[in-house]
Amino acid sequence: MHIPDFMFPVAQGLVYWVIALIFIVLALRWARHSMGEEKVPLVAVLAAGIFAIQALNIPIPWGTSGHMVGAALAAIVLGSPFAGVFVLTLVLLVQGVIFGDGGIIAMGANIINMGVIGGFVGYYGYVAIMGVTKNSYAAAFIAGWASLFLSAILCAVELAIAGTFPLVLGLTFMGGYHAVIGLIEGGITAVALYLIASARPDILEHPRAVST
Amino acid sequence: MIDDLYFIEKHAYKTSIIHRLDARVKLLVTLAAIVAIIAMPYSTKVYELGAVLFALVVVLWACSRLSPAVYIRRLALIMPFGIFLIGFQMFVKNPYYDVFHPIAALPFGIEVYAESVQFASILLVKFIVSISFIILLSSTTRMQDLLEASGRLGLPREFLLPLGMMVRYIFVFADMFGKIRSAMDTRCFDPLDRTLPYRYRLRQLGYTVGMIFIRSYEQGERTYTSMLCRGYGENACLHTGRKPLRAGEVSFFAGSLALIVLSTVLIYLHP
Repeated sequence: MHIPDFMFPVAQGLVYWVIALIFIVLALRWARHSMGEEKVPLVAVLAAGIFAIQALNIPIPWGTSGHMVGAALAAIVLGSPFAGVFVLTLVLLVQGVIFGDGGIIAMGANIINMGVIGGFVGYYGYVAIMGVTKNSYAAAFIAGWASLFLSAILCAVELAIAGTFPLVLGLTFMGGYHAVIGLIEGGITAVALYLIASARPDILEHPRAVST
Repeated sequence: MIDDLYFIEKHAYKTSIIHRLDARVKLLVTLAAIVAIIAMPYSTKVYELGAVLFALVVVLWACSRLSPAVYIRRLALIMPFGIFLIGFQMFVKNPYYDVFHPIAALPFGIEVYAESVQFASILLVKFIVSISFIILLSSTTRMQDLLEASGRLGLPREFLLPLGMMVRYIFVFADMFGKIRSAMDTRCFDPLDRTLPYRYRLRQLGYTVGMIFIRSYEQGERTYTSMLCRGYGENACLHTGRKPLRAGEVSFFAGSLALIVLSTVLIYLHP
């Protein structure tokens, strides 16, 4: 889902950058006020961990492999959608500038798709489903799935606006593909949440909400 | 990707006239080249600008004294997703052309259009040029130098410190990742082994993800504590001292920027 530079005209890339910057500033403000400025290094090291998590090959049923995004997991564990934005911004910056994975001009769109949508849908999806089902793992599973699926849908819409990928085909292919691998993102988010709740419940922002 | 971390950094630690260039110059030239090739409208003029910019990459790569194999290996790792997006273009119409002429008919009513093939080739040129500059930048510049260059170019300190810490610790997690994989291999566990039940593989991967998460959080706690011991506080920032550019670096920057801007403008205006 890392959109390369050539898929966007510059003007559109800059518009996405401006939107992404608003969320990045809000995420920095969250880190400073909610976590305490001095704890910013903690989230930065966590971003390096998410970078490693994204390197894990996850099997996809039809034989290929994919990888996790991890924004929903970070947002759920740290108790804020801005955790997803903060962590994914750092990860995407390193991936784009050092590894060439995802573009520089398209990075704003990538931050919106994976960090903002991943973080917000992941966190608020989790909170909303928890309120209804009272089951933290079902909530984490659905929130993880929705975060990836909606990111893919938004990605398809952005590419259609850019005129580089037809909307219907984009929604069908990207939506269909990510609807399936979203199940894996959701499943792993739920299992990882279980492990964290069992081993280090103090890390969780809302440990009482998660049953072990 | 994480496997290439040391590969990239190993080459960035070599020495050449390009490696010794100030990271600010390399960063700005890279950004200028990417903006130039991406800003060129989707037309055949992209070929001409692409040729000029790719020639610049080739000259700079030759000056860096790095093997072409390094470039090809890195390009091959980045290409697959881009190639999928580009290849797909040949079978669909896009809003950048008014008329489409079919040149081949495939089963299920799929057609290949001459204009779509041309559009795909334009995207390919944009892709290769932009990626080549990124490969050149990261293969000849240490991450720490890139970080300091970003600070000197005005990246806010609120962002510089976490980015610096992340860059430092991805090497720690690259090592940890290698150990996790060795541990999996030792136990004959392959997540892609289809003879194992799918749910079992996912559960093990879920535990691995949770474990990496906890270990990175604990590493963050240790780092934070050790930083406190060294006087870290609310107003701490990553120090980047002043570093004036040398005359040669200024000349290189001016020359490269002039080449990029002039060639872009001339090719764009040429009928």
